[in-house]
Amino acid sequence: MTTDIHTLVGAYVLDAVDDIERASFERHLRECDPCRAEAGELSETAARLADNTWSVPPPRLRTDVMAEIGRTRQLPPVVEGSRAARTTPRRWRFTAAAAAVVAAIGAGSAVYVVQDQRVREGQQVAEAARANEARVRAILASPDVVVRKQAVSTGGRVTVATSRLHNAGVVMLSADAAPTDRVYQLWTIRPGGAPRNAGVLREGQAADVVVLEGLPGATDVGLTIEPPNGSATPTLPMIADVKLV
Amino acid sequence: MAERGVSRRPEHLAAVPGTAPPPVEAGDLLRQVARGDETAFGKLYDLVAPRVYGLIRRVLRDPAQAEEVAQEAIVEVWRTAARFDPARGSATSWIFTIAHRRAVDRVRSEQAASERTMRAGAASVDTPYDAVVDEVAGRLERQQVRRCLDDLTELQRQAVTLAYYQGHSYPRVAELLGTPLPTVKTRMRDGLIRLRDCMGTGASA
Repeated sequence: MTTDIHTLVGAYVLDAVDDIERASFERHLRECDPCRAEAGELSETAARLADNTWSVPPPRLRTDVMAEIGRTRQLPPVVEGSRAARTTPRRWRFTAAAAAVVAAIGAGSAVYVVQDQRVREGQQVAEAARANEARVRAILASPDVVVRKQAVSTGGRVTVATSRLHNAGVVMLSADAAPTDRVYQLWTIRPGGAPRNAGVLREGQAADVVVLEGLPGATDVGLTIEPPNGSATPTLPMIADVKLV
Repeated sequence: MAERGVSRRPEHLAAVPGTAPPPVEAGDLLRQVARGDETAFGKLYDLVAPRVYGLIRRVLRDPAQAEEVAQEAIVEVWRTAARFDPARGSATSWIFTIAHRRAVDRVRSEQAASERTMRAGAASVDTPYDAVVDEVAGRLERQQVRRCLDDLTELQRQAVTLAYYQGHSYPRVAELLGTPLPTVKTRMRDGLIRLRDCMGTGASA
């Protein structure tokens, strides 16, 4: 049984396991010295994979981090007890292990329900995302796609890709930052009609991809800053106005 | 504890004889950080931030989210510095483990997952693909990691990189590669063992 769980060592150090597997694997490591040594070595190896991801962070990251540590309290070192537990005599360890198993059986079923729920929700979102993504890709790959870009006056960019063949368009917003206590809202403007809501972003959300059916009939895609949950009519000025004709 | 200074192995190169100042070592800095030394933390930041940010950006693919998660991860290093145990591994490995797990948590949270897949669509319009490949390839060429990855079998390499650089779980990797679960677990493990043997000597940072 120990050997069985140990086959997870690679997936564990690559963070490719779920929370429950991670918890049981860490329990296994506490009981097995050679396994812990192997996991340690492979973790060192996996960390080296970060070597070739080198990328200069924006300078403000340093400023932000230094400001935040100024108000972040440090944790004390781990108490001796938890280290000592690794070297306690065998009999004592059995008792502790038995207690852990009993606790795990109780907590385990509750965790399982939550986990299962999370998995199902995740699958639904992923399915919706896949369907949406397929539509996005189809529009972007269309032979007649026309791509227009425009800067957002408050920083960032709106890209609109339209396809008459699909009678649809993809609007991609990539703003530099989300507005404080406000949200971004997209609009479409059609000839002779009032601006129509084309999507309200959440608070704190600075980027989005929206598929708009029938977009080739519109003349503009606009972007405004609105109160949370959006408005019925745009609050002017538009911070971006992409002309489609 | 007793192991202080005993089990610490040099992470980089041996000191050059002469008058040059000794290279800054992440482990030393982290010990000072654990005592609340903000200046040491600034130095540690400069030493590891490009890799922490780069790694998170590689997994998340979105610069704005990467910046946010990098900030969380680096502040976490500050917060938990006293819990770092040099007997269990190097300081850099400890830091990148924190960063990677944060990135993976973010990528797996369902909301981020759906946004990210859609943003992949955005990226294909916004960034000319060739430029990205050039940039990545150019950087990789110089790296030992790349050479060692090339030494793996195709399946080992895919299993390791899909999990590490893209944050996929092993069942998802199995699905993507059309390979049974036990095989994927094995390939991840023996791929890492081979990488360890390849990178074990002449390590560069």
